Amino acid sequence: MNITRRRVLSLAATLATTALFATGCAPGTAGGSGGTLRVLIGANAKYGDKYKTWQRDVAEKFKQSTGADLEFETYAAASDELTTIQTSVVSGQGPDVYHIGSTFTPTAYSTGAFVKFDAAQWEKVGGRDRFVPASLGISGPDLDNEVGVPFTSRPYVLAYNTEIFEKAGLGKPADTWDGLLAQAKKLTDGDTYGFATGYADNFSPWKFIWTLANQLGNTIVDGTVVRVDDPAVQSAYETYFGWLSKDQVINPAAAGWNDAQAAVDFAAGKSAMMLMTTVNATPTFEEGAIKGKYAFATMPTVAPGQTAPAVDGRDVTSIISGDNLAIADYSQKKDLAAEYVKLVTSEEEQLKYNKLFGDLPTNAAAAKKVQDSLPSLAPLLASAEKSKSTPFTGAWGDIQLALTNIVVQSRQDLAKGGVSESALKSALEKAQQESQASLNRATGTK
Amino acid sequence: MSLLTKQSRRRTVGERNRPLWLLTPGAVLITLIILVPLVIGIYIAMLQLDQYSIRKWVSAPFIGLENFVEAFTSTDLVHAFGNTVSYAVIATVITIPIGVFAALATQNPFRGRGVVRALFLIPYVLPSFVVGTFWRTMLQPDGVVNQMLLGAGLPAGEWLTGPSSYWVLILVEAWTAWPFIYLMALSGLQSVDQEVHEASAIDGALWWTKLWHVIFPYLRGPVALACLLATLNHMNNFSLAFLLFGAPSPFDVQILPTLVYSMSFTSLRFGMGAAMALISLVLIALPLFFYLRAVKLDTGEDAGDKK
Repeated sequence: MNITRRRVLSLAATLATTALFATGCAPGTAGGSGGTLRVLIGANAKYGDKYKTWQRDVAEKFKQSTGADLEFETYAAASDELTTIQTSVVSGQGPDVYHIGSTFTPTAYSTGAFVKFDAAQWEKVGGRDRFVPASLGISGPDLDNEVGVPFTSRPYVLAYNTEIFEKAGLGKPADTWDGLLAQAKKLTDGDTYGFATGYADNFSPWKFIWTLANQLGNTIVDGTVVRVDDPAVQSAYETYFGWLSKDQVINPAAAGWNDAQAAVDFAAGKSAMMLMTTVNATPTFEEGAIKGKYAFATMPTVAPGQTAPAVDGRDVTSIISGDNLAIADYSQKKDLAAEYVKLVTSEEEQLKYNKLFGDLPTNAAAAKKVQDSLPSLAPLLASAEKSKSTPFTGAWGDIQLALTNIVVQSRQDLAKGGVSESALKSALEKAQQESQASLNRATGTK
Repeated sequence: MSLLTKQSRRRTVGERNRPLWLLTPGAVLITLIILVPLVIGIYIAMLQLDQYSIRKWVSAPFIGLENFVEAFTSTDLVHAFGNTVSYAVIATVITIPIGVFAALATQNPFRGRGVVRALFLIPYVLPSFVVGTFWRTMLQPDGVVNQMLLGAGLPAGEWLTGPSSYWVLILVEAWTAWPFIYLMALSGLQSVDQEVHEASAIDGALWWTKLWHVIFPYLRGPVALACLLATLNHMNNFSLAFLLFGAPSPFDVQILPTLVYSMSFTSLRFGMGAAMALISLVLIALPLFFYLRAVKLDTGEDAGDKK
């Protein structure tokens, strides 16, 4: 009678023993050996082999200059990175240096588990003034509390099909949203559409809303107050949804696309412009029919419905986007970690990284050289200069999620002809409550 | 070996002298891998544990039942629970006839039966990632499914958002999971004695009377167990919904695993996530208890032998 049960038990026991052995061999216990610096870095699927070679080169140079070994650990997705940070933060051991996405920096900062940079610490990594000033915008909440050292910059721009533009007798993309929309309407013809973007992407929707709202003077977070339930944000959504439903300059199928699919569509020459894209998409473009027939341009800074040049503070082209480096507070090798940061943000290494992977340098001298030698990247550098930091609060992750969620829940209506004002308003109200609740927790526990 | 000797000896020894201490290793392991984490989980659910307090999680503010109250009052928990249970049950109900029929159809030997049986298992052995990605691609607004519908003169649909997304989840889940019912039904069929077939043939039973009165009773046990396991699997299936709809997922297809995921890993509210996971555990365990009673799967006796 108890045979089956006992079998289950013994099976469970076997499994448990295996599990115990497995965890016993986990990297957490193995990394302590004397001269090894552990660096957590995102995987790079598009340039797999090249990326490995780069890692080997850096490790070699690091060994030459410091005598210590360098060990890269890669994460495939943001969630893996988060898991590593969580376990390391709780256990007080793990990688010494983290490569983190720029918008993730506030979240990382809010854990309090990373080294804050004062003048002396900045000196150790080569000085704060070696960096492009705009790239430091999301390093910390203020000058005294910076944790992120800029490593690469990937500002958002638009890509346009030069052949389609020439055929239509248009020079280059307009610098107002109204002008750009007029061009998009002119270029929409049969199967070809003016804009390409992915409404079902997990990230790009909130970037549009944030950018458009900022151009209308709403920074979403104002001190301790969230301003999502606000005419500027509503207008941002209306513009963003309107491109597909009202203006019809976007393929209706884009209601179900993510950005990768939109990039493929643009690369096939089926749309004249790809909005909110970055240098990361280059391999996709180069593989497509538009190889050699596209160029980047900054996105307009003049809000929809306006013609006058944007006033200071509103002329936003992009979020500050790229990667930051952060040194773990629990690390026993903080000086070695600083050496690593110094090495990979040096002019030479930054130029090399740009050449290999296209990401822009954050090192000012390297950025200058790229600007002079590669005019095709000039729009990206221009956009980097006009990038603005998303609000530096641990609540930003939630707010970003709430902004994206509005698009997720509206896609059905969007595909059916348009999102009604009443539906949008109630969605904004809900997002406002959720975001404010999260911000309250952030400010309450600081 | 040792298992056998222990068993034969136990029969001769009185109930009171059963060497229960032999269970100690198992008990220790169960305590370590199930009970301790469960208790920690319950404790975490009562903490205001988030990104601000995780660094020193033991000293995170203790807030009692606040997380639970908030989960019920101001999140989509109840809605997600309804979705999860209904989708899991519907998916199971759909797969039973398919699985049983497939098992019956491949019961008698025929040319190529091995190949057919192998083919049947393909949906079950494909990784969730592959299944999710493929279906997501096919169900795009301009995907293969809509193109076929339009080609047949039918209206195209929005499959990955809105109310239809709920049914898409059920269908894709059923597509992936029916071979499990098939396997269990097949194992039930294997246990039917050849003599039973002969006896019913001698009695002149028609094929459907034979099926209903002779074969199905054999299947009752294995299929009831399959239903239970399949339903629980559906409820816990995170990857398929995540791959098809992403997180945050459309409201109509908000289910517990993706909701708990969003709460814990995008909002970083670990305490709240733990509270939600516990609530769903209780909500699912209750009906489970009654089901186990009803189908007598918890008596330890082989239900398949009952007629």
